[in-house]
Amino acid sequence: MNKLVAGLVRPMKWLGGFCIAGMMFLLCADVVMRAVGRPITGAVETVGFLATVAIACSLPYTHMTRGHVGVDMLMARVPRKVRHMVDFCTALLALALFCLIAWRTVLYANSLRASGEVSMTLEFPTYFLVYFIGVAFTVLALAVILDIGAAWREVVRK
Amino acid sequence: MSPTLIGLLGLVVLVLMFFSRLPVAYCMAIVGFLGFSFIVNPEAGLNLLARDIYDVFSSYGLTVIPLFILMGQLAFNAGISRKLYDTAYRMMGHTPGGLAVATICACSAFGAVCGSSPATAATMATVGLPEMKRYGYSDELAAGSVASGGSLGMLMPPSVVLIVYGILTEQSIGRLFIAAIIPAFVITALFIAAILLVAWRFPAMGPCGRRFTWKERFLSLRDMGETVGVFALVMGGLFLGWFTPTEAGGVGAFGILAVSVVRRQLSWAGFVKSLNETLRTSAMVMLLVAGAVIFGHFLAVTRIPFDVAAWVAQLSLPPFAIIGMIVFVYLVGGCFIDALALIMLTIPIFYPIVTGLGYDPIWFGVIIVLVTQMGVITPPVGINVYVVSGIAPDVPLEKIFRGSMPFLGALVAGTAVMVAFPAVILWLPQLMFAN
Repeated sequence: MNKLVAGLVRPMKWLGGFCIAGMMFLLCADVVMRAVGRPITGAVETVGFLATVAIACSLPYTHMTRGHVGVDMLMARVPRKVRHMVDFCTALLALALFCLIAWRTVLYANSLRASGEVSMTLEFPTYFLVYFIGVAFTVLALAVILDIGAAWREVVRK
Repeated sequence: MSPTLIGLLGLVVLVLMFFSRLPVAYCMAIVGFLGFSFIVNPEAGLNLLARDIYDVFSSYGLTVIPLFILMGQLAFNAGISRKLYDTAYRMMGHTPGGLAVATICACSAFGAVCGSSPATAATMATVGLPEMKRYGYSDELAAGSVASGGSLGMLMPPSVVLIVYGILTEQSIGRLFIAAIIPAFVITALFIAAILLVAWRFPAMGPCGRRFTWKERFLSLRDMGETVGVFALVMGGLFLGWFTPTEAGGVGAFGILAVSVVRRQLSWAGFVKSLNETLRTSAMVMLLVAGAVIFGHFLAVTRIPFDVAAWVAQLSLPPFAIIGMIVFVYLVGGCFIDALALIMLTIPIFYPIVTGLGYDPIWFGVIIVLVTQMGVITPPVGINVYVVSGIAPDVPLEKIFRGSMPFLGALVAGTAVMVAFPAVILWLPQLMFAN
């Protein structure tokens, strides 16, 4: 399971980095081309798509590297067992949340696909991006399952 | 149960969940989803989850965040912070408390290319602390000046907090950036005054450093060129309408990258590290925004923001007293919760009150940044203090908090001046956007 999650997170991180760098280069190119009277068609839309993919890709990586802000103050002062029990319960809650988001995002993407919705300039089918967000939340849910396992092992450890 | 009561219950549950150390963004999404589902219906709650998350992730307005974060990360990994510190050190290091003054000036300058307060504190702690230690500075003054100086990163434009505030309240990011420039200089000056006062009262805490010749000092100024150039390009381009805030972020990041590559200051590993850190911080901010949007929709159906605004409107208190109360809430809240999370959580409630009282939203944006700046250096959850402590584990937390106190006093004084005289904040944007 560890290997599976790591194997998914690594390429996602690379793809996210590629998208962020792509946004930077595309924006600069568009500013320059606009200055000479030849703006890049669909640059604004493409930057939006790249940002969506980049953020979705970075969700599991950020979770696994503890990049999200939380309040540690109280839990740092409670006994180890209690702390891990709380971690176990909150991780279950987070798993439920991410599974629901993944499920509903896929349903939302299905509805966009059925309605044939596309972006205004490039006419790109936006449901692809919504499916991608669903995939990212599924990987995030897998990463949370690892946390649940780790917290439970700490709870039962003597 | 009335929607208002459910809303209040939701707020209590949210605060309790914060203390479970579950990330703040997850807490807001969970409570927001459950509360919305309870008041409206579960199907609507499930739809809300998917749509809010997609809307936030695909919002073009929010793409500005990763780009300005990338700009700061590239500047950090290219070692620009060290050059800024060196320049300030040569200029002021020989005076009493001069190295701490140099740290504050370098923090202020680095804030001009980096929008994050912990990132600025981390950068300057790595560069400035060893120098101050070498010259026998007290731990309090050295670590306190780095932790507090770091907070200038969230005030000096480009600021991630101001960007998020601008997006949540639909205010011009360019105008917010311009409005924050004078306050950032005022706070920098007050921080310097605080250091001089400490060095004058307790000379052993901040002894003089090495004196450089005038030639050496002027030669070091050329190292500031790239920072000043990129800052001028970003702010000037925004002001002159050459590009949007998102494009400004892209141009700024590319500017730093181009300069660093030409000067051979950034390795491939440094570039990859910048991208990874940008992804990490951006995901943290974007998920916070998504959580806050979900929670904000829950609050809207409870009608709490409107009830609170109506309640405040019928109070016979003068507007400045209400502003004082709001500032107090931010001050106390900032001690426990991350600045960005606190702003996202409270904006739906406080923003209608403040605009209802006739205050300028731009002014209010800068004021809450100032107040939450205090939160990053006050116990128990002063994020900058923990960042500095992580880099200098031999300095006890209490000493860093104690060392931050003179700077906290300076921040309180500066905020009081800007509440009493809003023109300090509003003069520059009014002048520059007059036409």
